[in-house]
Amino acid sequence: MGNQQLINFTTCFHCGESCAIEILPYDHHSFCCKGCLTVYQLLSDNNLCSYYNLENAPGTQQLHPVLSSSYSYLDDEKIIQQLLTYKDENIARVIFFIPTMHCSSCIWLLEHIYKLDGGVTGARVQFMKKELHISYNPRQTSLRKIVTLLSRLGYEPAISLNDLEKRVQKDDNRKLIYQIGVAGFCFGNIMLISFPEYFGLDSFTKGSFSKLFGYINLILSLPVFFFSARDYFIAAWKGIRSKFISIDIPLALGILVMFVRSTYEVVSGHGIGWFDTHAGLVFFLLIGKWFQQKTFDTLSFERDYKSYFPIAVTVLRDNSETTLPVTSLSIGDRILIRNNELIPADAILLKGDAHIDFSFVTGESDPMHKVLGEIIYAGGRQIGHTIELEVCKKVSQSYLTQLWNNEAFSKDQRSSIESFQQLVSRYFTLALLIIAFASAGWWLVMAPSLALNAFTAVLIIACPCALALSSPFALGTAMRILGKHQFYIKSPQVIEQLAHMDTIVFDKTGTLTQPSAASIHFHGKELSLVEKKLIASLVSQSIHPLSQKIKSFLVQSNLLSVSTLKETTGKGLSGTVDNHSISIGSAAFLNIPQAADDNLSTKVYIDIDNNLLGYFQVDHTYRKGLKEVTDLLRPTYEQYLLSGDNEKEKEKLIPYFKEENRLFFKQSPADKLFFIQQLQSTNKHVIMIGDGLNDAGALRAANVGISITESTSHFSPASDVIMSASMFDKLPTYLAFSKNTLKVIHASFIISLMYNIVGLSFAVQGTLSPLFAAILMPLSSVTVIVFTTISTTLLSRKGGLQ
Amino acid sequence: MQIEKFNYDNKIVRDFAIATMIFGVVGMLVGLLAAVQLYQPAANFGNQYTSFGRIRPLHTNAIIFAFVGNAIFMGVYYSLQRLCKARMFSDVLSKIHFWGWQIIILLAAISLPLGFTTSKEYAELEWPIDIMIAVVWVTFGINMIGTIIKRREKQMYVAIWFYIATFVTVAVLHIVNSIELPISLTKSYSVYAGVQDALVQWWYGHNAVAFFLTTPFLGMMYYFLPKAAGRPVYSYKLSILHFWSLIFLYIWAGPHHLLYSSLPDWAQSLGVVFSIMLIAPSWGGMVNGLLTLRGAWDKVRDEPILKMFAVGITAYGMATFEGPMLSLKNVNAVAHFTDWIVAHVHVGALGWNGLLTFAILYWIIPRIYNTTIYSKKLMNVHFWLATLGIVFYAIPMYWSGFTQGLMWKEFTEEGVLQYPEFLKITIQILPLHVLRSLGGTLYLAGFLILIYNIVKTIKQGSLVANEPAEAPALEKSTLFHKGEFWHSVLEKKPVTFTVLAIIMIVIGGVVEMLPTFLIKSNIPTIASVKPYTPLELQGRDIYIREGCNVCHSQQIRPFRSETERYMGEYSKAGEYVYDHPFLWGSKRTGPDLMRIGGKYPDSWHYHHMIDPRTMSPGSIMPRYPWLAEQDLDLTTTEKKLKAMQMLGVPYTNDEITNGNTDLDKQAAGISANLKKEGIVLESNKELVAVIAYLQRMGTDIKKSSGNN
Amino acid sequence: MSVMFILIGCSLLLALGFLSAFIWSVKSGQMDDDYTPSVRILFDDAPQSETPSDVTSLPKT
Repeated sequence: MGNQQLINFTTCFHCGESCAIEILPYDHHSFCCKGCLTVYQLLSDNNLCSYYNLENAPGTQQLHPVLSSSYSYLDDEKIIQQLLTYKDENIARVIFFIPTMHCSSCIWLLEHIYKLDGGVTGARVQFMKKELHISYNPRQTSLRKIVTLLSRLGYEPAISLNDLEKRVQKDDNRKLIYQIGVAGFCFGNIMLISFPEYFGLDSFTKGSFSKLFGYINLILSLPVFFFSARDYFIAAWKGIRSKFISIDIPLALGILVMFVRSTYEVVSGHGIGWFDTHAGLVFFLLIGKWFQQKTFDTLSFERDYKSYFPIAVTVLRDNSETTLPVTSLSIGDRILIRNNELIPADAILLKGDAHIDFSFVTGESDPMHKVLGEIIYAGGRQIGHTIELEVCKKVSQSYLTQLWNNEAFSKDQRSSIESFQQLVSRYFTLALLIIAFASAGWWLVMAPSLALNAFTAVLIIACPCALALSSPFALGTAMRILGKHQFYIKSPQVIEQLAHMDTIVFDKTGTLTQPSAASIHFHGKELSLVEKKLIASLVSQSIHPLSQKIKSFLVQSNLLSVSTLKETTGKGLSGTVDNHSISIGSAAFLNIPQAADDNLSTKVYIDIDNNLLGYFQVDHTYRKGLKEVTDLLRPTYEQYLLSGDNEKEKEKLIPYFKEENRLFFKQSPADKLFFIQQLQSTNKHVIMIGDGLNDAGALRAANVGISITESTSHFSPASDVIMSASMFDKLPTYLAFSKNTLKVIHASFIISLMYNIVGLSFAVQGTLSPLFAAILMPLSSVTVIVFTTISTTLLSRKGGLQ
Repeated sequence: MQIEKFNYDNKIVRDFAIATMIFGVVGMLVGLLAAVQLYQPAANFGNQYTSFGRIRPLHTNAIIFAFVGNAIFMGVYYSLQRLCKARMFSDVLSKIHFWGWQIIILLAAISLPLGFTTSKEYAELEWPIDIMIAVVWVTFGINMIGTIIKRREKQMYVAIWFYIATFVTVAVLHIVNSIELPISLTKSYSVYAGVQDALVQWWYGHNAVAFFLTTPFLGMMYYFLPKAAGRPVYSYKLSILHFWSLIFLYIWAGPHHLLYSSLPDWAQSLGVVFSIMLIAPSWGGMVNGLLTLRGAWDKVRDEPILKMFAVGITAYGMATFEGPMLSLKNVNAVAHFTDWIVAHVHVGALGWNGLLTFAILYWIIPRIYNTTIYSKKLMNVHFWLATLGIVFYAIPMYWSGFTQGLMWKEFTEEGVLQYPEFLKITIQILPLHVLRSLGGTLYLAGFLILIYNIVKTIKQGSLVANEPAEAPALEKSTLFHKGEFWHSVLEKKPVTFTVLAIIMIVIGGVVEMLPTFLIKSNIPTIASVKPYTPLELQGRDIYIREGCNVCHSQQIRPFRSETERYMGEYSKAGEYVYDHPFLWGSKRTGPDLMRIGGKYPDSWHYHHMIDPRTMSPGSIMPRYPWLAEQDLDLTTTEKKLKAMQMLGVPYTNDEITNGNTDLDKQAAGISANLKKEGIVLESNKELVAVIAYLQRMGTDIKKSSGNN
Repeated sequence: MSVMFILIGCSLLLALGFLSAFIWSVKSGQMDDDYTPSVRILFDDAPQSETPSDVTSLPKT
């Protein structure tokens, strides 16, 4: 027993997993599997062992050996061309996304990769993006070599059909940084140059400086006006052209007027103008923009089947294997699918026994067994031995991918609710213009000299800077907070959308049920240590997920060898271990008269030397807190359930959804999509919560699509929100929080409006000193920023989001 | 692929480290000596070369440029090579830099006690040395930028940015502030006069602190702290952010040193505003530093290096908070001229610069000698001594600062000064000065322990003069993104730096053309203010040589407490128009002298200079007997007058040619005056000139007010 | 106060210099990655890489 203890507590020197199955000692270290050991050997041979000094056990487990054959497609020139970001005869550059990258050791090893492959001329990690930028000499090494090497080290790059579409360098974010930098710089210096005026420069220097300072200011604010503020003018102009009054119009107007009038004043020597206010305004606005641009680097909200389908597949042409880009796969091609490879197109099974794991499609992880001649839909992953299929539909035509031909995808965004800011800014702008002209008119009568003065003053002071800042900062903060709680939102607007929803539609499999957390326990007489060892030895021979589950359930090491192994796919397996004949499998397999099987659990019976010891029961569970979630949401939201499966779970689900007519089964991806659209046609604002590719349509059609995923590095279909499954029970909190955020925006709007009224009251009288503006503008902006950020944070605290 | 093998130059690092330690001791010893003289005047050995007015500048220069300076170079040369994955650009430049700097220090150590000084704080060195400094500094810059250009690591770590900022800014500041018109090898006049000179000086003075004592150490903090803690800096984003904001703000905080002076109000307020804004970026650095240690406090407990970082950074936080507070007008009204400032400065110097330097020394030496530190225990002892030293130094100084500030302003109900006698207040605070020197001693003791510990460490290890390293060559051309039109200009790094270089040259050029158009500066002139007579001018230069301005201000602020105490109007900008350089001073160890003229008879000054205690018992002013013995050097008179004329002082040509005759006449008058009171002082002695100057000071206005 | 001209001039020129440096730094991608550099400096680059620095553990990200 003591020995047992010791075994359980040894962890792998490479990956830190417990050496449950076996222990491989080497160099006074122990390893959990061959894979880990080989990596270690590779590193130590090239004395890269600092890898292990930076962090302990930084590696990732290497259960499946990497067969370089699986990357043969990377020899295809066409594919290489598409993957590379740059290439000439002696340098090629490529960017890999590496999901398993997680610590400083990873950075260190990946950036020293050139020690393992002399052809690599440079390797840079962008840790936050989990990106590895590699440049190599195509004459000395090849893409395939590099990728194989990375995979062998446990850093398999995620290469998908998606990568073939050239990624567009999004430089606009960088442009914004330039604009902020320039605006900030000019703002700082203009402020510096303007203060003297406010501090009574002239009293001392008899105006000799004011002129100089005025002109310096003018020069300094040119870049602000023409470069930093550019986008506001463009936006405003677009708005006008499309007869749509957005906040940008008063902003642009304010900026423009401020600049023009200030220039006039300086040149004509009337005064120093509003240059500091002008620069400050632009600076603050840009900061707001930047703050709103929170992106979750490692997440992609735009994934479709492409970002998930392989680039290439092995095709049998007159009995010789060649790799072909899936895009050029045509009907009738015979394809080979190896273990863990994915079926790219609907195809008919010709050879081998197929266990297809459709978890990406349906969220259901237990493989389905397929018989020869059956059609296997694209998106399934083969578990087990190599199978041979014949393509019967083009990739783009397959059952699954058809979904993307639906107009829900072509028409770019469904009717989203008008944001509060848009709503307000319409009235605001109108009011503003009316006031401006009114005051101008009034002065024309009273004192024409002051008319223009008042008119411009109004436009300057009422420039809705604070208003424009309130949404970005409230929403940006909310985004960050939710992000901290693994509720990742595509864009700030989504939060505002969320606040308006009144209907929630759930997918079942993988969304409400929990594929991973199937619980397993043994029913029957207590198993002896020997029996455990026997069973473990047998199941360790099968890659069937159930076998794997059982193996990890009975933690055993130094397994025994198995003779006469016989696996009846989908049923069970039997064999002789250490002169005991053992059979493991379904009731049918051991022909046991079975009671009406209850739906959610699978039973695996154990028989050693023809006496039945009992069975392992593998239960699927609904996500924790499902009850609470549905109850909490019921008052505010209509809830529906859509499931691809048959109705067997209906009874179990009714307690959660109360009315039977809220549950829909046997729903095809398309059905789900139409269901959502139907709801919307009855003016419902719908949230769709799903996980699989089969929900992609619905997620896309819904006003807000939330895709739920076990781990953010996993696949998740296109959606507005990616939510970590572990946080499922928090859902009501998140939704409530989004509503509160909207309240904050409303409040902050009131504040900024009050500032505007104060300012206007001066402006209309034509008495608006630059100093006053210089104080009012930053003051209002800062108040709004502080107010929104703080109150949003406080609300999140109150809502239980720390 | 080509993995390039190369060596880091550790020898140069070692050399700077040793220089740091040597000059650290020297600087601190001189400081201690000065501190003792402040309650024990005799401690100057009755010797002109070690009198307070001369060794106080020696102390500040030794600490700032010799101790801290060498420490900066040590840290930069060590970290820059590793951050760039490249050896220094040129070993020759490194050597020139090292020896050049040490020679400068040596010259300073000689020239300052000899009384060759410009009187401008932290810029006392005379023009030949100024030129050397500029040259050596640029050598350093070329060496650094060269290294950066040939680096093998694409990303420039934030520390490097701080180093670059340091180099560029200090160069500009130094050049602009040291534009002088030479009279001889050892004497020059600032081209700026009075208020303008003051503004330039403190624009420099403040930024010298900012960019010599702060930015390079922030840079080093960002390298050595993570290294020592074995964890990345808390937020790299924040570090970048606060670097750029610091850069855009710092340059203008200077004028807060001149609050209530006759600097125009708007310039003062400008200084205040920017000083206040500075809190944000400064604290950005502190917070980032301390949070880096967050979660590693267990390590801090048993790693003295981290302890020193922690305390040092905290000191930085305190100083950078106190600074802006001090620049608030009402606080400044009390604090300025008092020991409070001394305390403030030393919290920064002893805490931030000192402790960080120690930590870095302890980190570097064992590594370049490929060994471990000789004794961790001694490190801990040092840490505690240093910390205690700071406490014992700062608290008494703050205390005496408040005392001075308040007692100077104290009025009785009847509305007369509570303590009209300046001396009374000075004597009040002497015990605190004793305590202060104790604190200094503790700190110095700690430093000696460091030296012992380091020497032992060096003994047990052996220098890895060339530390082998390897890194893949940095592939040229970052063809990743197309630049917009005006970025393409800055396509390659070298270009940026040439841009910076050009800017510096331009500045240099601007600066050379200065004097010409400086002359007609639009200071409101006062009719009755006249240039100094030749004798007074000579006296003024002796006043400068002896460093009187170190303890005596010449600037009466517009407070009743001061106009009462110094019996005269507050200072007007117009009174200084002929002052090259300005002598406002920044500390009142003794009373202000703006209105001393005509207050006492010549005889009083004579006795007071020979032995202050005969006139004012208990005074801590040193004796200046040698002034009565040394002959006044008349050969310079004409040159000086000419120079002044060039700088716009309205001396007529025959005034210049007859300079010495006028001088003799006035001198004879004074010595005759003294003879009446039975004092024998030949008219050709230096003291005569000094008396002449003292008696002239601030009298122009009195006249004018008398006349009209 | 004509000296103000020079001081302002210098300050502006300096600031301009830093602005151009800033622009270059953004342009050359210095700002692209705001985490990895802080880790990278912890690595040593001794040729026969034995124990690099005394890095212990980083917050796993």
